Amino acid sequence: MRRGGRVTLLVLWLLALAGLGWMVSQRLKVSTDLRSFMPAPTTPDQRLLMEQVGDGPGSRLLLLAISRSCPAPALPAPAGLAHPAQRASCARGTEPSMAGAGQSDAQLAALSQGLVGALHGDKRYSQVLNGSFDLGALPSGLLPYRYLLSPTLDTQRLDEPYLADQLQQRLDDLSSPAASLLKGLLPRDPTLEVLKLAERWTPAKSPELREGVWFSPRNEALLLVQTAAAGFDPDAQQQAIDGIQHAFDALPGHAGAKLEFSGPGYFSVVVGAQTRHQADWIGRISSVGFIVLLLLAYRSLSSLLLSALPIASAALAGIAALTVVFSEVHGITLAFGFTLLGVAQEYPIRVLSHRRAGEDAVQSVRALWPLLLTAIASACIAYLAFYASGVNGLKQLAVFTIVGLLVAGFSTRYLLSRLLPVRVRDVADMRWLAKARDLVDRLPRPRWIPVVVALAIILMLAVAPGPFWQNNLAALTPLPQDMLLRDARLREALGAPDVRYLLVLQASTEQGVLALSEQLQPKVDALVAQHAVDALELPSRYLPTVALQQARQQKLPDRASLQSELNQALQGLPFRPDLFQPFLDDVETARQLPPLTPELYVQTPLGQRLAAMLMQRDGHWLGLGTVSGVHNVAALQALGADSGGNVRLLDLKVASESLVAAYRTRILQALLVASVLLVLTITFALRSLRRAWHVLAPMTLATFLVLAVERMMGIEISLFHLVALILAGGLGLHYALFFERDTGDPAEQRRTLHATIVCVLSALLVFGMLAWATIPVLRAIGLTVSLGVAFHFCLSILMAPHTHASED
Amino acid sequence: MQVLDRPLVVSGELAWLGGDKLQRHVEHPNDETATIADGEVTQQRAGKSPRHFSLSRAPQLQVLLDSFVALLSGDAGRLQQAFEIRQAGDPAAAWTLTLLPRDAKVAKTVASITIDGDGKTSRCMRMQEADGDLAIDMLGPLAAKMPAQPTREALLALCQGAH
Repeated sequence: MRRGGRVTLLVLWLLALAGLGWMVSQRLKVSTDLRSFMPAPTTPDQRLLMEQVGDGPGSRLLLLAISRSCPAPALPAPAGLAHPAQRASCARGTEPSMAGAGQSDAQLAALSQGLVGALHGDKRYSQVLNGSFDLGALPSGLLPYRYLLSPTLDTQRLDEPYLADQLQQRLDDLSSPAASLLKGLLPRDPTLEVLKLAERWTPAKSPELREGVWFSPRNEALLLVQTAAAGFDPDAQQQAIDGIQHAFDALPGHAGAKLEFSGPGYFSVVVGAQTRHQADWIGRISSVGFIVLLLLAYRSLSSLLLSALPIASAALAGIAALTVVFSEVHGITLAFGFTLLGVAQEYPIRVLSHRRAGEDAVQSVRALWPLLLTAIASACIAYLAFYASGVNGLKQLAVFTIVGLLVAGFSTRYLLSRLLPVRVRDVADMRWLAKARDLVDRLPRPRWIPVVVALAIILMLAVAPGPFWQNNLAALTPLPQDMLLRDARLREALGAPDVRYLLVLQASTEQGVLALSEQLQPKVDALVAQHAVDALELPSRYLPTVALQQARQQKLPDRASLQSELNQALQGLPFRPDLFQPFLDDVETARQLPPLTPELYVQTPLGQRLAAMLMQRDGHWLGLGTVSGVHNVAALQALGADSGGNVRLLDLKVASESLVAAYRTRILQALLVASVLLVLTITFALRSLRRAWHVLAPMTLATFLVLAVERMMGIEISLFHLVALILAGGLGLHYALFFERDTGDPAEQRRTLHATIVCVLSALLVFGMLAWATIPVLRAIGLTVSLGVAFHFCLSILMAPHTHASED
Repeated sequence: MQVLDRPLVVSGELAWLGGDKLQRHVEHPNDETATIADGEVTQQRAGKSPRHFSLSRAPQLQVLLDSFVALLSGDAGRLQQAFEIRQAGDPAAAWTLTLLPRDAKVAKTVASITIDGDGKTSRCMRMQEADGDLAIDMLGPLAAKMPAQPTREALLALCQGAH
């Protein structure tokens, strides 16, 4: 092609890329919801699991701890030496005087209260608790409802004996150290219903209250924040966490204290940041290495730059296709997609290696094209398996990769070949290459290699330690151990519910669920008494049914009779006679109140807790009971035994494992179909079963060899390993196809070797780097692909048909 | 605040168990023991399960603990730390020690605690609460002299008066 024509083509191509780039930047919407990469739930339990894990109250809980930040002393300060004036000593728990401890605790408590105040009203947080709300759980307007919510009226009437007994107890309380706690409540609530409700509503294991806020045994002020954003949305969680940190930094006196986070949302942010960070530096190193490699291999800067064009086109075309087909592109798809496009770099490399001096690149490509086309077609078939998996994220991956590969292949064939300069260094002339090819040709290729390798694979798979499949999603988290331990400690201190078990109640109406919950309460109490479980909170604990509230309302005496009962009870007691007017007023109000429904209740601070436990799904209502500290699973399961399926224990771990297993089965089935198609395609393209054997056998053996070696290393195979195996297979297929080709021309054989070596080295560079990442997902992919590439290379050579020795 | 229209009288023993441990054992009118140790109060009533709460929720007890322990152990530094001290009278004969809590949070509940004594013995401890209530503890030999219908004036006279 003439020079002018080439320049025009180059300019046009660059313009097209720019245009695509602009279109992509306009349309691209990146989503971060991890649930796109999870399979669609099919059973109701799996649906509930996805909701709870992504959206449920447990997933949205952030645990905060405010502690004193101080350099660790070299030796613990002995008691008595810490002078109260030196607040900076911050020796943990060895304060000798009350005043000293109070001051630093008071500071932390003040910070805790300040944080609550700052976050109040911020839409990102639906609830912020630090222990200071406990007696103010009901807003004062709703205080009269305490008589309908408290279980006292179920067993007691507000009559003279009861009131007399209660008043005597209050008198005793006044003479005891607890006087100051009760004096304020006495006129309005002599029977202390508010305290009874507060006790009912605080978690069984609630942290110690100091200075009015929660404190852990390690002198940290504790807070619980529930975010409005779902746990599965790392971006929104990041914003929520940033918001809290800003609010904390804006508080006066925060200088000597530090804020620590824990919880599912925080973990997903940490993992996201870690992954990005590692992917970044790995990407940078491998890009630099890749460029250096190509320069060494081809000694031509222009070749390098031009070969970047098909890859760039592939990437942009892939993203453009995604924006057209899907409304939102997932961040992980983009990240994964770029690694899968590592296959696409093969095409320009093959073309570059196969050029001959004096020959137009177009002609070399034409000779190479049938093989390249086969390679492209096979790779696309393999990635079609992802499309068939039914998972949104994987479908996006399939579309991205297939479009990318097609664009890379065709642009290499038709565009790149025309752009490459005619004057080129023929790699076949490199001396080291000739020696290398000689070596390769002289390698013994006994026919029994496939059999030996197959036997070795079977043996390794049979004796490999540990379970085969990785079912536990949690094992894939790269969180450091101390972070997990801290989470467990804070969760225990705060009495936050278990993330694993949920008791599910089902009924056709909201009130039906509450009624079922009330029926279950005695059995639950029995279980707690037997220590089968530490605590089980049912929805009816917060709100009784309308029927029960009305029953209690009936039992409330009218004003006149209550007044006379009260007067009789006050006989002989030193209380002021007119003290209990507010009490009489409240009871009278309570008699007229409409029953409290969930809609009204939602507006109170506790309303959020109830809203998370009552939900409407598929035309019926579900109630969720949160469980803490399960000791006897069988006993819990027995709760639902005779309820006709309306009550059941949901084990989120089991549900998630079944989800993963179903996921995997679908993908394996899709892979099976893809393999069959692949065999047919290759056989058809090569028009000979024997030739197809030389291509497919090394690929299959190498794939299973990688699997066997990883199993021997004790690695459990997860989804990411499967994805990586497919990627390695795609690369290996290319090697096998090209090694199988026997053109009879030794120079051509040398070029093939050159191209393959460059491809292998570049793949090893990228994926070998990934194998060093600390993140299990990246490590899995890196290790698998590196091993795969190495094995594919060796086996392709060893199992390639013998070249005719007479040619040399 | 005045929820009562006549005074509430209880009698029992206050014991210092060493260190920061104090025990308040009420015998009459109802059996109840409150033990303060390690910043926690344990309240044990006859026939009822013990109740625990943090000392910080009962400022009167904290003041009691601080003043009592400091007085009985003779730890002037500790007393100085917790209270502003005002002295009146003669250390060898009748004296009055007024302690005002330094901790602002405690001062919100307990305005002052006044101890009347004679030579080496303490006779009365008067705790003035910020909301106007007054708790008067008659100690040692004076405890037997509690009148049947006590009034503030009568008790004050007993505390400050001759033996």
